[in-house]
Amino acid sequence: MLPQLPIMAHLVLGYPTLPESLRTAETYIAAGCAILELQIPFSHPTADGPVITVACQEAVKQGVTVSDCLAAIRALRKKYPEQEIMVMSYLNRIYVYGMYRFFQDLGEMGVGHVIVPDLPVVGPTQSSPPKGAGSSSSSVISSPQGVILSESEESEAEGLKNKIKSRPSASDSSLSLRMIPLEMDKITEMIGPAAKGEEWVRPPLVPVLAANIPDTRLDQLIAAGYDFFYLMSDFKITGSTFSLHPRLREIAGRIKSGNSAARIGIGFGINTPEQIKAVLEVADYAIIGSALIVAQQEGRLENYLENIAHSTTPAV
Amino acid sequence: MTLTQTTYQDQILASNGFFGPYGGCFVPEVLLPGLSEIADAFEAIKTDETFLAEFRQTLREFSGRPTPLTPLPRLSERLGGAQLFLKNEGLNHTGAHKINHCIGQALLAKRLGKRRIIAETGAGQHGYATAAVCARMGLDCTVYMGRKDYERQRPNVYWMELLGARVVPVEDGTQTLNDAVIAAFKDWVAHPNDTYYLLGSAVGPHPYPAMNTFFQKIVGEEIRRQCLAQAGRLPDVCVACVGGGSNAMGMFFDFLDEESVRLIGVEAGGRGTRSGEHAAKLLQGQAGIFEGYHSYFLQDGDGNIANTHSVSAGLDYCGVSPVLAWLADAGRVEFAVASDAEALEAVQTLARAEGIIPALESAHAFAYAFQLAAELPREAVVAVNASGRGEKDLFITMRHFQEESLIQYAKNLLTI
Repeated sequence: MLPQLPIMAHLVLGYPTLPESLRTAETYIAAGCAILELQIPFSHPTADGPVITVACQEAVKQGVTVSDCLAAIRALRKKYPEQEIMVMSYLNRIYVYGMYRFFQDLGEMGVGHVIVPDLPVVGPTQSSPPKGAGSSSSSVISSPQGVILSESEESEAEGLKNKIKSRPSASDSSLSLRMIPLEMDKITEMIGPAAKGEEWVRPPLVPVLAANIPDTRLDQLIAAGYDFFYLMSDFKITGSTFSLHPRLREIAGRIKSGNSAARIGIGFGINTPEQIKAVLEVADYAIIGSALIVAQQEGRLENYLENIAHSTTPAV
Repeated sequence: MTLTQTTYQDQILASNGFFGPYGGCFVPEVLLPGLSEIADAFEAIKTDETFLAEFRQTLREFSGRPTPLTPLPRLSERLGGAQLFLKNEGLNHTGAHKINHCIGQALLAKRLGKRRIIAETGAGQHGYATAAVCARMGLDCTVYMGRKDYERQRPNVYWMELLGARVVPVEDGTQTLNDAVIAAFKDWVAHPNDTYYLLGSAVGPHPYPAMNTFFQKIVGEEIRRQCLAQAGRLPDVCVACVGGGSNAMGMFFDFLDEESVRLIGVEAGGRGTRSGEHAAKLLQGQAGIFEGYHSYFLQDGDGNIANTHSVSAGLDYCGVSPVLAWLADAGRVEFAVASDAEALEAVQTLARAEGIIPALESAHAFAYAFQLAAELPREAVVAVNASGRGEKDLFITMRHFQEESLIQYAKNLLTI
């Protein structure tokens, strides 16, 4: 077996066709990419740049269904039982398919990591079933549906006043997300047994975080047991010009010190060997998407992968 | 009044972002701090008399509120049924109800110290109002608009640019409102710290559905006062068109707990009932989670968002307010549909009978209200929200009513 490259290689299932996307996956595997990231195409990929958006729309146009994608993943898994696979999908496709069913189907294939860019992942604080609507406004703050991250016990009004006076910066760790409801009972149910209000079970999700993640929220996610963290290289969409936000090093350090077994990938805009090197100084994996799709479109995928392999130290 | 009925308003105002199972905040994590900041600020201003006084003063002095509730005696007589009243939101500055939530949100953005505003727009009414309010308050303004809307609502593009806004045509997808929303979100992901996203309907992630409802509810509050004064009673029926739902929520909110008032939302029936021919999500959509919220969306059955069509750019959108989805399930708001052709006919009918030219969006509400009024007794009172005025539709309605003169006009312009 080839030494593994610390690369998470992304493709859109069904682009340019389903069989061709599977051949692309095999090319990635042959090149030694440690992780495959297989994206289920969606008509409106809200966090993706033009390259992946067009690939998604082409795949959707061909009528590639979620079931088709799962069958394709199953086939890959059968042929490459050792290859680590992660699946990426926008929320609506798996919501309509049935989220719990989706996770179960993937679990049976040994796929334990699902990247859902428009679903902020949850921790145990959201596991209790929501109360009926119509409660008084004071319950807004303490609602079981909301994320309660504020450590201070200051009164609601005082807290809000302070927050407005001192505007939080991107790295302000005191910023709370307490007004944001992250869960609904239906999603909780779909994710698994959490809805029963018993033991919280971590869903097979990958938090996708950026440099503005508040420390309190990050700590909560680490404590919740998430074992793979996808960090956005900077504030941008996929396929943008690369830059590496200086705070990512600190975030990566915080994750590792909270859970030394947790793995970290950085993606968005990564293209050249130099960029990969820069990313691997902070993370375990460089996540490459748009650049691979462009290389494939231009018929230089093998060359591109070879070039990366030559300039990248293999993962241990 | 029973307990359930008294709580619709309370539930919306006290909402943590969920309305029954609908709503929520399904966005990339990178946007949560920004949304949280806005949600916190919204929570604070709901009861902040200083803020609310400035909001009301700006509505009065800049937008010209209150807008009149105009009786439509000739049409009522002709239809032979209920007395029709028209809430003329088109008399707002910039020509539609959109300015209500633009003023509210821009004041909120200023309070948060944000200097850069981004917005999406369909018909251009929200973008136009945003551009005007930003100019007034000295805020930098960028408006995303689908290429198709950019072309079909050219007058509004011009006004936005004249007001100093940057209007960015979006070339993705079907080049309509949906694609503009996504482009605005992508901008926000790239600028999460210094930018305020001034979202233009009662849709999107928390707190927008509740917040825009809050800023729009003045429409129904005025209707209540005016109707009591002019007709001596509350309306029996309120009718509003539904795209995302901001004008409908503005009109309906004050009456949600009035059992006697029927509330009817009219969706865009377009040119047919097949997928891609209409924008009737409450009548034909299915539950989904998209653009940050859980609601009804027009979809392909396998989780992809379907294309929509409406002659009115403002209704040409795949989703609907989670508040309306919840009120629809509860049976509190009824839904109906009016086609492109019916809306166009209603524009002409209202113009000739009462001297008021409604926006094509609002014309959907009138098309349905005319049918309904004819079936109701003479003592019934039906209020219809003219959410916008029709001048922006000049080139669309003219093509339908006087195509030859439009072509001649275009030729003349080019040869001058």
